Parts: sequence; C-alpha cells; structure tokens
Amino acid sequence: MKTTGNKFKIQNLKLRILNLFLYFLLIGFTLAVLYPILNVFSISLRPGDRLLSTSLNLIPDGASFHAYKVLFTQTPFLLWFWNSSLIAAAVTITGVALASTAGYAFSRFNFYGRKSAMVGLLVTQMFPPTMLLLPMYIMLLKLHLINSYLGVIVIYTSTALPFCVWQMKGYYDTIPFSLEEAARIDGSTRWGAFRKIVLPLAAPALVITALFSFMTAWSEYIVAAQVLQDTSLFTLPLGLKQFEASMSTQWGLYAAGSLLVSVPAVALFLILSRWLISGLTLGSVKG
Amino acid sequence: MKPPSALAGKFDSERFSPNTFAYILMIPAAIVMFGVVVYPFMYNVVLSFSNMSLRHFKDWHLIGMRQYAEVFKGKIFYIVLLKTLVWTFVNIFFHVTIGVSLALILNRKIFGRAAVRTLLILPWAIPQVIVALTWRSMFNYEYGSINLFIAHFLNMSPVEWLGKPLEAFSACIITNVWLGFPFMMTIALGGLQSIPQELYEAADIDGASGWRKFWSVTVPLLKPVMIPAITLGIIWTFNNVNIIWLVSNGGEPSDQTHILVSYVYKAAFNLYRYGYAAALSMVIFAILLTFSLVFLKRTRASETAY
Amino acid sequence: MRYSLAVVLCAVFISSCAKSTLDDPHQIVIWHQLRPDERLVLKSLLADYMAKHPGLKITALYKETEELRSGFQIAAIGGAGPDLVYGPSDQVGPFEAMEIILPLDTLFTTEYVSRFDPKGLVYSHGHLYQIADRVGNHVMLVYNKALISKPPQTMDELIKFGEKFTRPPNYYGLVWNYTEPYFFIPFLTGYGGWVMDSLGNPTLDTPQMVAALKFMKALRDKYKIVPKSCDYETADALFKEGKAAMIINGPWSFGDYKKAGIDFGLARIPLIGETGIWPGPMVSPLGFSINASVPKWKIPEVVELMKYLLSPEVELTYTKRFDTIPTRKDLYEDPAVRDNPLVRMSEYQMEVGRPMPIVPELRAVWDAMRPSYQAVLGGTETPEQAAKEMQKSALEKIREMNE
Repeated sequence: MKTTGNKFKIQNLKLRILNLFLYFLLIGFTLAVLYPILNVFSISLRPGDRLLSTSLNLIPDGASFHAYKVLFTQTPFLLWFWNSSLIAAAVTITGVALASTAGYAFSRFNFYGRKSAMVGLLVTQMFPPTMLLLPMYIMLLKLHLINSYLGVIVIYTSTALPFCVWQMKGYYDTIPFSLEEAARIDGSTRWGAFRKIVLPLAAPALVITALFSFMTAWSEYIVAAQVLQDTSLFTLPLGLKQFEASMSTQWGLYAAGSLLVSVPAVALFLILSRWLISGLTLGSVKG
Repeated sequence: MKPPSALAGKFDSERFSPNTFAYILMIPAAIVMFGVVVYPFMYNVVLSFSNMSLRHFKDWHLIGMRQYAEVFKGKIFYIVLLKTLVWTFVNIFFHVTIGVSLALILNRKIFGRAAVRTLLILPWAIPQVIVALTWRSMFNYEYGSINLFIAHFLNMSPVEWLGKPLEAFSACIITNVWLGFPFMMTIALGGLQSIPQELYEAADIDGASGWRKFWSVTVPLLKPVMIPAITLGIIWTFNNVNIIWLVSNGGEPSDQTHILVSYVYKAAFNLYRYGYAAALSMVIFAILLTFSLVFLKRTRASETAY
Repeated sequence: MRYSLAVVLCAVFISSCAKSTLDDPHQIVIWHQLRPDERLVLKSLLADYMAKHPGLKITALYKETEELRSGFQIAAIGGAGPDLVYGPSDQVGPFEAMEIILPLDTLFTTEYVSRFDPKGLVYSHGHLYQIADRVGNHVMLVYNKALISKPPQTMDELIKFGEKFTRPPNYYGLVWNYTEPYFFIPFLTGYGGWVMDSLGNPTLDTPQMVAALKFMKALRDKYKIVPKSCDYETADALFKEGKAAMIINGPWSFGDYKKAGIDFGLARIPLIGETGIWPGPMVSPLGFSINASVPKWKIPEVVELMKYLLSPEVELTYTKRFDTIPTRKDLYEDPAVRDNPLVRMSEYQMEVGRPMPIVPELRAVWDAMRPSYQAVLGGTETPEQAAKEMQKSALEKIREMNE
C-alpha cells in the first residue's frame, strides 16, 4: 500500500477504532445469544421442576446435575438419540445428493420447464404446514408408511429440498462457467466437470445444505408425532415431549434434554465450518 | 454401495444432450417433491370447497365458494393479515441485517472468530420450545430479566410485556429475531466465500471507501445466495405458528397476537372448522405465491447466470 | 448397478410397510394424558397385564391435550389411530359429534356399569361414551402451612390475611393462573353464575359474570393480594419457592408440591360473603373411550383391557400413589380412600363443584371467554362490556362451529 506515513497512521487508527467497535458488537451479540441459553441451563439444574424462578441467579439454589443423571439412567434418551441420528443422517445424505445435482441443472442448463420447476419448489413451502398434516397422514397410511422411518425420511427430505436446491443453484451461479469449459476442453465429461471442478468449489453451499437438511430432520416434531406411534421408534423431539404434561411438566429433564439435543448440531457445524470458511475460495483457484 | 466415482464411470453423461443431462440431474429431486406435495395439496383444495366441520366430519360434501366468502367476510381477516405482514417483514429485516453484519465481521481475520461463530449458531441448534418458553419467562413483568434490565440500567419503568397486545407482539418478534438470525448468518458466511478477493483489491486501487466496496462488490455477489434464503425466509416466517403460540401462550392477550397461520390452526383444531381452515390456507397460499412471483421477477433469482 | 439399487429400495420399502395397528390382533395402543409419574405406574400395570396375555403388545403413548384431540381427529379420518383414548370428559362431546368413538352401552352390561359412581360415567345423547377411572380436574385452595396456619373460610378472611402478608415482589397472599378462564369458574359459580344452560346455550352476559369479574379484578387491583401478572408458571414458581401463601390449583400439582418439599394443606376455595355461596370448580372425570375404527372382531380384546384398567385394584393403586378419587363405588369404604386426607378434602371441594359440560359448544365458550376476560384484566374492557362481548362471541363461534 502506497500511502504517506501520516495518512497511513490515520487509516491505521480508523481501522483500530473500527475493530474495537466490531469487537464490542460481537461481544454484545454473543452475550445476547448466551444469556437465554444459560437460562435454559439454569432450568436444567433447578430442583422442583420450575420453569420460572423469581431469582435471577444463573446457578439456582440447590443446583444439581440430577436431571442429566436421570436422563441417561432412567429414560431411553440414548435410544432416541440413536433414532434421530439415523433419520437425520439419511435425510442429510439424500438432501445433499439430490440438491447438489438438481441445483446444478437449474444453474447451468436452460431446459424447458426450468423456471416453473424452480417456482414449483417454492410453492411447496407456501401452504401452512398444519393443514398439510391431515392429507400427509392419509397418504402415508395408504402407503403403509405409518410407523416407519421411510415415511418420515421422505417427508423431511421434501421439506428440506426446496431451500437446498435454491441455495445450491444460487451458489453455482457465482462460479464462472469458464472453469467447466476449460475442463471440457481438457477432455473432461460433463459429469466429470461437475464433480471434479464445480462440486469442490461449491463446498460452502454443500455445507449449508447439509446443515439445513440435518436441522430439518433433527428438530422436527409435528410430523414425527403423527407418523411414529411406537415408543421404540421415537426421535429426540418426540422423546423430549414425553417430559411434558399439561401443567405438570418435568422442566428439569426437558431443559437438560434440549441442551443435549443441540450438542450434535453444534458439533456438526463446528466440523463443517472448516469447509464453510475454507481458504479454498474462488479467488485462490482463479488466481 | 460403490463409491460415487464408480457410478460416474458407468454413467456416460456424454450420451445425452445438455438438456437431457439437466433433466437427469433434476429428476430425483422432482420425484420426491412431486410425490409428497401434490396429493396433500389437492386434498386441501377439495377441502376448501367443502363443509367439513364438527357436524360434517365424515359426511362432508362440496359447497362451492362459501368458505372463501366466510374468510373475506369479517374485518378480522384484514387486521390479522396486516399483523402477519408486520411480523414477517420486521423479522426478516432483522434476520438479514443482523445475519449479514455478523457474517461480514466473522469473515474478517479477527481473534476468536471460530469460537464466536460456533456460539452464535446456538439459537438455531437448540430446540425451539424450551428457548421460546425461556424467553417468555424473561419477559415476565415482575421477575423477568428484561424488565429488571430496563429498570436498573435504562432507568425506565418496567414494561408489561405479556399483558398488552403491542408489547406481547413485540416480545414474539424479539424472540423470533433471536432464533432466526444464525440461519441467515450461516448462509451469508457461505456466500461471502464465493466473492473473489481480487475484486476488493481492484476496488482498493480505485480508492473505493469501505461503504462503497460493500454496495458495489459484496451486495451484488451475495445476492444469488441470499435471495433464495430471503424468499424462503419470508415464506417460513409468514407461516411460523410456533413462536407466537409459545411466547404469547396461544394468542394472549385477548387473541391480539395472532398471525394468519395461528388463526388457521385455531379454526381447524379448536373449532373443528376444517373446510374454513383449508380455504384460509388457500388464501395464505395465494398471497405467498403472488409475493414470491413478484419478488423473484424483480430480483431475477430464477434466471440462469449463463 | 441401477437394478440392484432399485431392488434395495424396494426391499426397504416393503420391509418398512406396516399396517395400521388397529388391524393387528397382537397390539393395542392407548393414547393418554397422564403425568410423568403416573405413566410409570401405568407402564408397570400394563406390564402385569401383558405377562398374563403372552403375545400381546400394549403401547401407551402420552399425548398432550390439544395434540391428542387434533391427532386423534386426523387419525380417525384415515380410519386408524389408537384403540383406546384416555382423557377428561369434555373430549367426548366433539368425538361423539364426529362419530369417532364408540357408544359403550352394548359392550358393557348394566350390571357392570352400575358398579361405578355416576360421576364417572359420561353419557352424551343418551349413550355411554366414556368410563372414568377417576374424577377430579377440579381446582381448590392449596395453602403453605409454613406461611398460613389455618386456611381462610371466607373471602373476607382471605383478603384480610392477604393484605397483611403481601409484600411485592417477595410475598403474595394468593396466586393462581388467573389468565386462564378455567381457573375463573369457581368465582363465577361463587356469584351464582355458570357458563351455559342445560341446552348448551352460553349464559355469559349475566350480572353474576359481571360481579365475578369485578371481584377477581379487585383482588388484584384494589386489595393487591395477587401479583400484577400471573400465568401458570409464575404462580407455580411463587408457591414452590414459598413466596406465596396460597395457590388455587388442581390435584395434578399436589405431587409436585410434595416433591418440592412444601408442607401444604388443602381447603375449599373460601366462601363468598356477599352471596353466601361456596365457589364451585368444574369437575370432570378422566376415562377411556374406544376408537370407532376398531374392527368388530377386536373389540372384546379392547374391552377386556379396559375392564382391567378400570378394575378396583388398578384404581386403588393410583389412589395410593397419587391421591386420586376412584370411581368404583366399592372402593369408597376402603381405608386407603376413606382415610386419605387429600382425597377427603378433594371430595369436600367437589361437593360444591359442578360437572364440566361435555357438549362441543364448551370449546367455543372457552374461546369466547378468554379474550374478553383477559381484556378486563388488561384494563381495556369493563366487566360489563366484557360480559356482553363474551356472550356475543360465544354465540358466533357456536354458530360457526355447528355449520
């Protein structure tokens, strides 16, 4: 950077002030995010199943990890965890596979019906989900998919797909076509160009697709409650609901369970964020 | 299962014309969507023309447009629609501005960003019910931390968050903003990776200010990734029944915090008016469809880039 | 490769195919609304039953009140769902109107039915639709013995104590979930009012309603013995933390208070001096109904299970653990029932209670009451306006519902 010393100093000062400001902003947001979650943690430690407390102490009187102990020793928490993992993994894999290909088609080819198909995807999201429950149930019942994971997996995938496809398409749009053309000239097939050139570059979008599909399946309750009618098939959200009761909820267990439910989602984000914010940006490839 | 590369070996993509190749790529997704969505949708269309209700639960029949007339009859529909629009746009505005700002900050090489990024994702990761109820207790008039904060640090009198319509509605919005921004943040973080560094460097050479760089480089290049997220964000928020239901305890006070979907929910399950609820759903659907078509046209999001 | 994939998919599809459990002679499904502790008891009771009936699998699923209703409606349209539904009597009204539960008259002999207290038998349009294993769901006065030695007998006594005791935000004389109209019913009846007449027409715009609303508001605004805003969780927390001397709550909470280490006593909600009437809560039995889609050949199997769950032994097990009030007449002389102070106090409160109407219109009445009732508390409507508004809205909702 070619600047006179003085100007450089002023710029440097400005940058420092900006950075300081950004730090304050970040700290503020982090606190705002953490506080309610610490409150949930506090509920999980609180004896007597009180959702509310008149005291603001985050460590309640008589705090204990009793709820966590009960969760692992007296409830089928691990079974629910396993079931949820299975479903979420299946949905994530199908979601990524189907969205990465369909999104590519939408981004690169101007085929007949393309536009209406894209809007069609959005259309599926517009109907109030509560009203879809009834026909969905009847449909699954006719297909004998009640009480089966296949039923929920298909429903979840279809819930996650529209966003994932659009998101993949949007990301592919930012990747220059010239890269594939170059590969094609070098003798690569269309599929090869897609898989070896475009897909790796779209890693951040794949991460988002994976995260989104995972979260859709991981936290869904309403459909699962209607479809899965056998306690041995229960997923985590269904399991958590078992701690509830009209005016007599086991808030300690409920809060503890909720916190544990969020752990795999955060872990997945942590693992995937390597590719979400990778050094391998377009700039470096093209540079 | 063989690895995908084996699949690709068998799968000779050169045999097809470009468009056929495109269809093949897209068909699996299309089948899943079509299969799951079409039947339920048609079912609702039929219901919306029927009199299915408590007294005609199994023996319902078609009655034409009566349920639609019923929907548009009262003043209440328009009031609730207005609230729904406010709810949707305020939420999305904050989701996007907060999300994108945080993504921009976190995209800089600053100390501790990996940790902060992970912490900021928490509202998305944690089950909604418990945090929504926790927020509800934070809004408690006497014991909630928000009122105590307001009283101690801002020296204002406590707000009756859950007892007054406007305040209760704001409480729902605050909760939902908190829940929703991490999603937009993640999308924006991903989108920022697609912006080549040279464009910023080129702008630097032109002597562009940070603000100008944001508007002329960041915004246009984030657009392809953010537009779908925003469109769907609007649709989902419009139809988000959970948060209102949990934070305002089903529309309290006095059913003043309802948005259209919570209204549908009440009609369908509290008063067993399935036909009416289906018609109202169709109206919601029409509103969202019109909006999306206009929005997409104006942002050109469904065009191909090439 | 592609063929093998198709074969695998088909196999997954076929293996996961399951018919509705209703058609399975080896499975019975119950949906219920029991509390977590009670579920454990139910589970062990069902385990005993299954041990005596090898090859039979009984699944008991907890469903939250609203979800049980909506879920059961949805399942019923598809001709599926649980074999048995267990819950409070008011669900019988809509379920009967929708014809999704069976009349039980022909399935149980008159002799069998006569062994139950009439309070536990839910009739609608002359047919029996539900047999209860307990009555209750009534609210009453629960007091913390450490904070108040003798429960007040009249509202004047209650107010006098409350004014002395209340020191916001740390101490309140009385708390309860006053945003919910169900908890307001005792005040309404204490002033001589009720929600509907015998034909199911709402009776909300009455001087009794106005007086009750005024009194309720005065407790908070004039005498200031209840918190300024108080939902269920706030009331519950204040009582469990020993910051509230009294709470109006139902039997579902007693177990929690025991666990929270509160030494509590029960009493009738105090007499309203102006009228000389004891406030009477709504009382409803909780019991079993049979899904109308259960195939004919399976009904005897379901009835047998139902008889087991309604047997004196089972009812007594619940009473011993949870102080519930059984419906079997022959249990009333059992020492476990007769000498249980909580049961006796509950019965004493229920003497002045009124059974919950089971017509579907009740739902419309609740939905009509709630907004105006909350508007009175919020100060945006006067009690007179609110009473008018409730009646108007209830009539409209009933009309819409019955269309």
